[in-house]
Amino acid sequence: MTRYTRLAGLAVLLMLAAGALIFFYAPEDYLQKEPQRIFYLHVSAAIAAFACFAVVLGGSAVYLRTESARADRLARAAALVGVVLTTVTLVMGMLYAKPIWGTFWTWDARLTSTLVLWIIYAGYLLLRRLAEPGQQTARFAAVVGIFGFVDVPIVYFSVTWWRGHHPGPVIVSNALPPEMLFTFMVTMACTLFLAAVMVAIRYRIETLMDEAPSPASAHLVGAAAREPEPAR
Amino acid sequence: MIYLVAAYVFGVLILGGFLALSLSQLRELKARASTKK
Repeated sequence: MTRYTRLAGLAVLLMLAAGALIFFYAPEDYLQKEPQRIFYLHVSAAIAAFACFAVVLGGSAVYLRTESARADRLARAAALVGVVLTTVTLVMGMLYAKPIWGTFWTWDARLTSTLVLWIIYAGYLLLRRLAEPGQQTARFAAVVGIFGFVDVPIVYFSVTWWRGHHPGPVIVSNALPPEMLFTFMVTMACTLFLAAVMVAIRYRIETLMDEAPSPASAHLVGAAAREPEPAR
Repeated sequence: MIYLVAAYVFGVLILGGFLALSLSQLRELKARASTKK
């Protein structure tokens, strides 16, 4: 069993412990009843996604300054994990909205800005996948990674800047009873650990992929080898 | 109740699936790298 498998196993165990707290320890909400339990992972996934995009911002800034391949790899790894966590936030949010608001989706400022965040970083990943790998692509992606982060504070403050369906911040306004707050804090810590493990695994994958000759370059090498000698 | 269960099933499928796929990709890349050496 490798170090990464052990870390992933630990992350899964921690998430199961958080799940036990969510389903068996946290009290039922008086108004929203059972669906309120979606809140714990929905918000934790959003915070972990923000943390991943902050890593993309840091990695991209370091890459633009030093052209460090490690910083670029870290940004690539964190962007993918951030997009996966934003997908979890959006899907769980839609399933939370249906019983509470009566609809899966509404063009509320929080929902729309989160969808825009998902599109920005999905675009970043597409750019990395489709463009020819090299310094120019890495530099361009770093700029996208830095400017894309502008949407993170917009998502966070959207509930205070614009009026909509989405509730305002409940954690910082001390609106949760102690058992719910404890459950949320544990879930958030476990989700952040899971996100860190995922980024570490993706970073290792990116390193191995960078070290391996790409199929495109192998094809070019093969084509060059097959090229007939020019007539002299 | 159905939405609570559906939300956690989707959450676990997305996160668990991504983790499992990443571990499998890592194992494959490591195996490929070791055979090249």
